[in-house]
Amino acid sequence: MTGVRRKRGLRSAVTLAFALGALALSASLALGTYFSARHFLVEQRERTATRQAFADGALVRDSLLTSGAQVSDVLGSISAPAGSFIYVRRHGTWYASSLDGPGPELTTEVQAAVEDGSAGVGWTDATSPHAVVVGIPIPAVDAEYYEVAVADELDRTLRTLAVALGICAALTTIAGAGLGRTASRRVLAPLRDVTSAAVRVSGGDVTTRLKDTDDPDLAALVGAFNNMVDAVHDRIERDARFAADVSHELRTPVTTLTTSLSLLQRATDLSPRSTRAVQLMTDELTRFRRALEDLVALGRLDAGVPEVRPSVLGARDLVSQALQATDRPAALLSYEPARSSDPMIVVERPQMVRALANLFMNADIHGGGLTGVRVVDGGDYVDIQVEDCGPGVPPEERSRIFERFARAGGEKLGTGSGLGLSIVEQTVRNHHGDVWCTERGGGGAAFVVRLPTTTHATGVAP
Amino acid sequence: MVTRLLVLEDDDGLRSSLRMVLEDDGYEVAEAASAEDGLTALGRHGVDLMLVDLMLGGMDGFSFIQRARPQTEAPIVVISARDGVQDIVAALEAGADDYVTKPFVVDEIKARLRALLRRPSMGSSDTRGPEDALVLDSVAGPLVFDQGAGTLTRGSAEIHLTHTEFRLLGVLAENAGRVLSRSSLLEHVWDRGFFGDERIVDVHVRRLRKKLELEPSAPSTLITVRGLGYRLDVR
Repeated sequence: MTGVRRKRGLRSAVTLAFALGALALSASLALGTYFSARHFLVEQRERTATRQAFADGALVRDSLLTSGAQVSDVLGSISAPAGSFIYVRRHGTWYASSLDGPGPELTTEVQAAVEDGSAGVGWTDATSPHAVVVGIPIPAVDAEYYEVAVADELDRTLRTLAVALGICAALTTIAGAGLGRTASRRVLAPLRDVTSAAVRVSGGDVTTRLKDTDDPDLAALVGAFNNMVDAVHDRIERDARFAADVSHELRTPVTTLTTSLSLLQRATDLSPRSTRAVQLMTDELTRFRRALEDLVALGRLDAGVPEVRPSVLGARDLVSQALQATDRPAALLSYEPARSSDPMIVVERPQMVRALANLFMNADIHGGGLTGVRVVDGGDYVDIQVEDCGPGVPPEERSRIFERFARAGGEKLGTGSGLGLSIVEQTVRNHHGDVWCTERGGGGAAFVVRLPTTTHATGVAP
Repeated sequence: MVTRLLVLEDDDGLRSSLRMVLEDDGYEVAEAASAEDGLTALGRHGVDLMLVDLMLGGMDGFSFIQRARPQTEAPIVVISARDGVQDIVAALEAGADDYVTKPFVVDEIKARLRALLRRPSMGSSDTRGPEDALVLDSVAGPLVFDQGAGTLTRGSAEIHLTHTEFRLLGVLAENAGRVLSRSSLLEHVWDRGFFGDERIVDVHVRRLRKKLELEPSAPSTLITVRGLGYRLDVR
């Protein structure tokens, strides 16, 4: 067979091995059975034929001795058993019991033994099926007696036996394959658990653990896997704690710096150069403080602990609040369908207002200004689309910009912390929603926040 | 009259920079680097408002608030690097009125101070005479809230409220029978915008209930309206 052979999977390999094993075993058993049965049956047939030939031969001898009759008469008077032919040679002349049977050349096999004066048994394949040839010398009347018995029944029996054994071997092979398949499934079942657990872990769920087992063969694997996940979990927690500790330690000094700097800002006796320097420090410190605030906020969001009790409110209401909180005109809000009630959502209000404010700020800094916020009621969900009129975000950057400290298209450090969109993403994710970036019809970017709506207008959260 | 502030903060740099900035704004500022010093200063002068850090050497800020609260009705603003849910709620439960997490900008502190130092419902007290005292609960003994006089009494006993509790009750009483959302209470009482933390309202409502209600766990006067906010029922 030519062509590319695909690498066999473990299960197929095990199945094939079982099938081949079963085949080898059943075939050798079948062959052994066949040949020993055949040997036994053939011997039995020869014995039967010999006994019959001796009986018939004795009859012929007696007939020839007592009456002095001719061979042909004797042969005419005794009837050969069914499927048998009798040949007698006397004084070099052949006599046969049946005229339409095959000739005496059938007896060639044993003639030599008979001529030497002893009885002979042999097989001839001149007939179909094969036949047993028994030759007996009858010196008393100077004759040789031959009897050829066609082994019709023996052949049929052997054929039936061969077929039966063949079927058995085939069935055993199939059963072996089935057994292999089941066994491999059983053996691989724990591996499947490990696989799905590993997939969950790589998806970020580090709380995944394999169930404890008392199977000593699996305990080592389960233990090692769980230890590995524990180690990963610890490592992630340690990193997170480190980041939290660092930002925590920076909080008081940064506060002191901003407080002190606000004193300098108000000083009236500074030279223009000093005023400029104070301004530079103020700007940088503002950015530093924002980054720190965002880091702290992100740390809290990552921990997933709700900061406030969620409340039920309308999506349009939420957007209005966010616009108002960031001193933007309420007219930026539009909604679809135009005549409908405000879709209700369950949100931690301050967090979601902050997330929307981040998107507004992002539109201002990177998108040439916020052009509108559209609330689209989708039934089970509501989309809040924050649109700008900037250059848009290239498709390949659209998921990357949500990463921490990511900046689109080699853009220089802006006034943002580089964490704003990560905060948006984490906030929305904590609300079982989704956020993505797309393009606005007519140019610019649109950031879509999709949140699940609640069917109960009130009464979900206290 | 000069407003007296106490800054309780163990970081020397932050404490003195805060003092300078606040003095520039015309406040009289006393400093304390430890809770013990803070309590001494409180006993000696009496203050109108306190800025309190939670993590201090020795006695911590929570204990300070617990001890200071019975001595004074003055607002307490927590300034802390700790912003865990439990820490904030614990500080509010202990008696703090508001909190600001570090890093903050001075303007934010000043805004908090201005909000908490407003005299309780000044506007309405001019138009209301003492006879406008509101009977909140006539069923379980007369519970009388007199905004003009600044008192809350059950029978002949006066119930002490902090400034902030008083203002919260004032806003609820002016809108008696109407549901007020947490965010509108935040705005009216604390001058907090849309980013404000609604737990401040919840904790203050709990504190107020302990003083108003005969059975705070089954309130009959200050009612929670699920999903909407709070309502004061006069009966």
